[in-house]
Amino acid sequence: MIKNPKIIVENLNLFYGNKKALDNISLKIPEKLVTAFIGPSGCGKSTFLRTLNRMNDLIENVKIDGKVFIDEIDIYDKNIDVVELRKKVGMIFQKSNPFPKSIYENVAFGPKINGIKDKKRLDEIVERSLIRSALWDEVKDDLNKSGLSLSGGQQQRLCIARALAVDPDILLMDEPASALDPISTTKIEDLIFELKRNYTIVIVTHNMQQAARVSDFTAFFYMGNLIEYSDTKKIFTSPDKQQTEDYIRGRFG
Amino acid sequence: MQEHFNQEIENLKINLTKMASVVDDMVERSIQAIETGNIEFAKGIKEKDLEVDAYDNLIQTQCENILALFQPFATDLRFILSSLMINNQLERCGDIAVNISQRIKKTYEYKNLIDESQITDMARKAKEMLKKSIDAFILKNRELADEVLKSDEEVDKLNKKVFKYLVEKMQKEPNLIEPSAHLLILSRHIERLADHATNISENIVFYIDAKLVSHYKKLKKIQE
Repeated sequence: MIKNPKIIVENLNLFYGNKKALDNISLKIPEKLVTAFIGPSGCGKSTFLRTLNRMNDLIENVKIDGKVFIDEIDIYDKNIDVVELRKKVGMIFQKSNPFPKSIYENVAFGPKINGIKDKKRLDEIVERSLIRSALWDEVKDDLNKSGLSLSGGQQQRLCIARALAVDPDILLMDEPASALDPISTTKIEDLIFELKRNYTIVIVTHNMQQAARVSDFTAFFYMGNLIEYSDTKKIFTSPDKQQTEDYIRGRFG
Repeated sequence: MQEHFNQEIENLKINLTKMASVVDDMVERSIQAIETGNIEFAKGIKEKDLEVDAYDNLIQTQCENILALFQPFATDLRFILSSLMINNQLERCGDIAVNISQRIKKTYEYKNLIDESQITDMARKAKEMLKKSIDAFILKNRELADEVLKSDEEVDKLNKKVFKYLVEKMQKEPNLIEPSAHLLILSRHIERLADHATNISENIVFYIDAKLVSHYKKLKKIQE
């Protein structure tokens, strides 16, 4: 089904203390396409998303076993540099969280930490990232304005620009448009469509129509299990599993 | 929300069932007129068709509203899509019942010709196909739909026999040219009725099993 897997997950289990939150998940995420994770609250989809750049490492009492390969490298290997991993696998959250700094500084922050000091190069990165996040035209004349002064939708695109500035391969998005109005949501969805030309995108969403619109593949999670994973068209027209059908038709939860 | 949605779906189903029952009655009466040669059965069918047209508009509007307000997926989406298509087929069946009733008013005196040409057999078969397809929809029954799909060929074969018989009759007995010409058109209407019943059954298969069976044979031949 998946021709060019960018991420391969094998038998992944995750425990919060004694509670098993993910149960033996295996799946392959295709390169330069959009994969959506859907499922009711608490099903494990966001937890699973966070395992893909080891964000769960930051949470106490989390125990993980199984394998996650990105470009055939096991990211849970003890020799992996987690900072390098997170440069490669960027993350966008539900609530936009720009730094209380200028638009320019928000985007230049990552590259600066990575040691880029040349102003001209930083300018280029900031411009390219803001163009790619479809925000450039709206902010190019006022890059010194505070990132926090932007609208919610613009702030979210600023966060996407900030993630793009460190040149990732993969973008993880956890409900990136759930706090936005329909117009800003459309802009984010159009942006996702545009970004998949260059990036592998994994998105968690509660909005079924959004998953149907933006993704190529959809995975349905329920109570820590991966119930069904398939072509998005298949999931939303004639899924194989009754549980998937019941969920997308709003019959439980 | 779910309650509201279920209610809308239920209302749609009720209206489609009512429409199907009116169409079934119209077809039944028009074909009884063929079977008995009694044109009393054919009276009032045209007036009934107005009721069918009103259902047609109502059901289209209901489907549009459900799609716009609830954006259904999977089985629910297929139910709305097939309802739209079945609605369309039923409306045509209503029109055909009117056509048949008009044609039989001009030919009822030629009962022998009608029976010998096998138009009566063909009409009976087409009527049964429509009844079965309506039952398949109401009962959500795939087997009944499959039975209808199998019958379509029989009606097509009968139609060819009718055609041949009537053409020969016209050649041999010029005084039967006019009624035979009317009966050729009548048999065409009946054949269309069977086609619509077939289409309804194909829509039911799509609704129940998410499979497109329309044009299957033709497309398979081309692929081979």
